[in-house]
Amino acid sequence: MEKKIGLHKMAELATETAQIVLQSGGETHRVENIIHKVCKQFGYDNVESYVTPTGIFLSVWDDQDHVATSIKRINSRSTDLNKIASISKLCDDIKSRNLSPDQYSQEMHVLALKTVYPLPVQVLFGGISASFYALLFGGSWHDFGIAFFIGILIVLFNRLLYKAHFNIFLINALCGGLAVFIARFAGTYINGLQTDKIVIGTIMLLVPGLAIVNAIRDTMAGDLVSGTARLVEAFFIAIAIAAGTGSMLKLWYLFY
Amino acid sequence: MDTDLLSKILFATIGTMGFAVGSNIRGWKLLFTSLGGAIGWGSYLLVLQQTHALLLSIFIGALLVSLYSEILGRIFRVPITVFVVCGIIPLVPGSVIYYAMSQYVQGNFMKAMRLMMQALLIAGTISISIAVVSTFANIFQDLKRRL
Repeated sequence: MEKKIGLHKMAELATETAQIVLQSGGETHRVENIIHKVCKQFGYDNVESYVTPTGIFLSVWDDQDHVATSIKRINSRSTDLNKIASISKLCDDIKSRNLSPDQYSQEMHVLALKTVYPLPVQVLFGGISASFYALLFGGSWHDFGIAFFIGILIVLFNRLLYKAHFNIFLINALCGGLAVFIARFAGTYINGLQTDKIVIGTIMLLVPGLAIVNAIRDTMAGDLVSGTARLVEAFFIAIAIAAGTGSMLKLWYLFY
Repeated sequence: MDTDLLSKILFATIGTMGFAVGSNIRGWKLLFTSLGGAIGWGSYLLVLQQTHALLLSIFIGALLVSLYSEILGRIFRVPITVFVVCGIIPLVPGSVIYYAMSQYVQGNFMKAMRLMMQALLIAGTISISIAVVSTFANIFQDLKRRL
């Protein structure tokens, strides 16, 4: 195993790993930890890194005080908790499994290519989630059916807008608006439908859970910049949902 | 234990499972994540029933979820966020924000403001309980390493 990896290759490898974890929604604290862990395992003890939700900066020194620096801008982020878990595990296991840099790089790329659930499964579970949350917040079984249908539509619409490179604010606002519109529309044809409960159930699909958790955990780990950035993200998503549902309600009251 | 409580907990579990699939959690982790949702919502409802204190119930619910995630994360060596993110989802005040907007659109400004304030307080309470658990977990780990 003691074939040592080159300095620049090392910086590149660490950046790649960090990029995957950060883009899957990992905390910046975890990303920095992973960078240090990977570099140490491959024989570079002297590493400095600075990670924010939108970029990775790192420098690696070798024994002769040569330095390699790498900067990576992160533009798109999604939620893929499975990838975070599997890459973290791989980094932990470098030592115990005695991986060479090449083996590690290969395995990492395999993990990076692992896709999310197929779209039909995602859509189905989006519907299930929305409908059961509608029940949870006091909906009836009629509301359950409509919420299932809207949940499916919201997940599809969400993916569509994401593919079309809409920003996160607009995506959430439009999805919120769509949920209100369909719920109200169904409410005019079906008697006794509690449209509020349906909308609440579907809104739970959009709620910024990951951003809230990351904001707190980053702040507590002393990463003030990342914590604040994530907090603003969570706040903006919440505002977007409120704006989307609110304006659609207003439009509905105006025209109906 | 009445059936209403049990059915609510069941709904929270399945709803959380759906959300977890959306966050791409796989295999056995899916089961434990859904269980986290059940623990959070169950304890929230129980405390709310006993004390009628909203923020206290939210605090205890989120506290138990993060404690549960912390323990599971340590046992299975999985990032703790994997479990926390989905477990707190039922507690996140999405419904309160919606009701606030609904009141505002209907012209009840004061009611809307009160609900918005409540949503902010709930979100703050969830944050504090996660922060408490992660801080104490770090201290605990530090002590273990030193001993």
